[in-house]
Amino acid sequence: METPYKEMASVPILEVRELKKSFNGFEAISNLSYKLDPGELSAIIGPNGAGKTTLFNLVTGFHKVDSGTIFFKGKDITGLPLHVISRLGIARAFQVSNIYPTLTTYENVRQAIISQQGKTLNFYTPASRLAISQTVEILESCGVAAQANVLAGRLSQGDKKRLELAIALGTKPDLLLLDEPTAGMSGEETKEIMELVQRLNQEKYLTILFTEHDMSVVFGYARRLTVLHQGTMIADGTPEEVRINERVQTVYLGGEV
Amino acid sequence: MEDKARTLRSRWWLSLIIALSIVPPMVIGSFWIQVLTEILILGMFAISFNLIFGLMGQISFGQGAYYALGAYTTALMLTKTSMAFPLCMVAPIVVSGICALIFGFFIVRLTGIYFAILSLAFAQLVHSVIFQWYDFTGGDNGIQGIPSPILLKNPFWNYYFTLVIVSAALIVMWFITKSSFGYTMRAIRDNSNRTGFVGVNVRKHMLINFAIAGMFAGLGGSLWAVFNHSVSPDLANWTHSGVPIFMTIIGGPSYFLGPLVGSIIYTLLFVFVTPFTEYWPLIIGTLIIFIVLFFSGGIVGTLELKIRPE
Repeated sequence: METPYKEMASVPILEVRELKKSFNGFEAISNLSYKLDPGELSAIIGPNGAGKTTLFNLVTGFHKVDSGTIFFKGKDITGLPLHVISRLGIARAFQVSNIYPTLTTYENVRQAIISQQGKTLNFYTPASRLAISQTVEILESCGVAAQANVLAGRLSQGDKKRLELAIALGTKPDLLLLDEPTAGMSGEETKEIMELVQRLNQEKYLTILFTEHDMSVVFGYARRLTVLHQGTMIADGTPEEVRINERVQTVYLGGEV
Repeated sequence: MEDKARTLRSRWWLSLIIALSIVPPMVIGSFWIQVLTEILILGMFAISFNLIFGLMGQISFGQGAYYALGAYTTALMLTKTSMAFPLCMVAPIVVSGICALIFGFFIVRLTGIYFAILSLAFAQLVHSVIFQWYDFTGGDNGIQGIPSPILLKNPFWNYYFTLVIVSAALIVMWFITKSSFGYTMRAIRDNSNRTGFVGVNVRKHMLINFAIAGMFAGLGGSLWAVFNHSVSPDLANWTHSGVPIFMTIIGGPSYFLGPLVGSIIYTLLFVFVTPFTEYWPLIIGTLIIFIVLFFSGGIVGTLELKIRPE
């Protein structure tokens, strides 16, 4: 799905308007409007329960909105099923590695590529012949090529997160949503992953939106920062602007930001 | 992705099975030829079950329904119509496939225990219909005296006929497991959530797999009708649905031919034990418990672990 999107740069790649979502009476998202331009590398932060994961779930179509609309590349995708939205170009990497444990690292990535290519209803061609070069390319760009034949369930935590990202990239997204990409990582690993994220953003023009609790990652890499609190946006701007925002500081109880 | 040792071992297993399937009928008596035929039919039935279990990660307690539909379709066509024999072997695949599509539409909306229970419920429905529709299906009398082509009346030739069809079916199922559809099934088994997130309509794919498994179960039933010359409603009962499950557990669900190995063990055990005792359920139940507790991965899995240097 690598459309020449740069030419349409006047249209936000993602726009949500007046989103509302409740679960059993608990309002997870209350009247949230948000825009993301193509090519951005932006972060969304907020205390637990602020609505970050719910926003991701709504945008990807995993949950249905109660009200509001979601536009992707200018097209209304509200209410579309999960797998359709994925094929339109939105990918997601999860905080807790959401991989295929009994398949090898190679097979994990290949599965994502084959799925995006719509080749999952092929009953006769051995899968081993499909998407070889694309799989290898993604394995290498994410630094897991050496583990290609290892069962994904046996990978180290760091490699699992790299594979997590590789699977998301396998679907050739235009928009990548990352759920706490550096959770549980050492300083060294954090730097590696975030530099990869940055490279993907700059070299492949991949729009990336990530959530984080690690503020050094947010200030080190995000060019724009949005703060959620109790389901609404309370601040939006460059990280420096947001940092000095009084309301944000109150919410984080004494300048954790 | 396979190392050389594993490929060589697979070839060894395969050669053994091929040799054992072609040669013995030439030297053993008619009784044992029929035992081998039964092993093949039930083995294919069990491998078709394993498309749902080992490959896709769900348990169906009702595959007997599609087996029975296949058996009865062939039986009815051969006894009540004068349609050509090949047609009587192809129609059951269509019938059981369509039924699997209809039932499967509801079943694949569920997973785990709920999937299992609904599959059982639909099978009991089929059993009920066959049992009660006396005028059409013969009710609990079943259908007797099913005619087959003259050549196939001889158990020797029926065996090779069954062998050819079962082999073709296994080759098709093997290709399916190795295809991108097969890997999509494994992905759904491992993590159906993520599979949706990478762009796969999980329900639709599960339904297609369920229908495929149903079609091969129907083919099994069809072969059974020709082999056994009679069919009964029992074929749709949950106890019969348990047979491919037992065979798969005994042989090992992680290996394509595991259920066939299970069929060999189960059927031979049945043949040896039942002349001496009526406590067959006790014997097979104990074996299953033993396998589950001490030989997880089944016979093939356990042997693989012993052979593989790890």
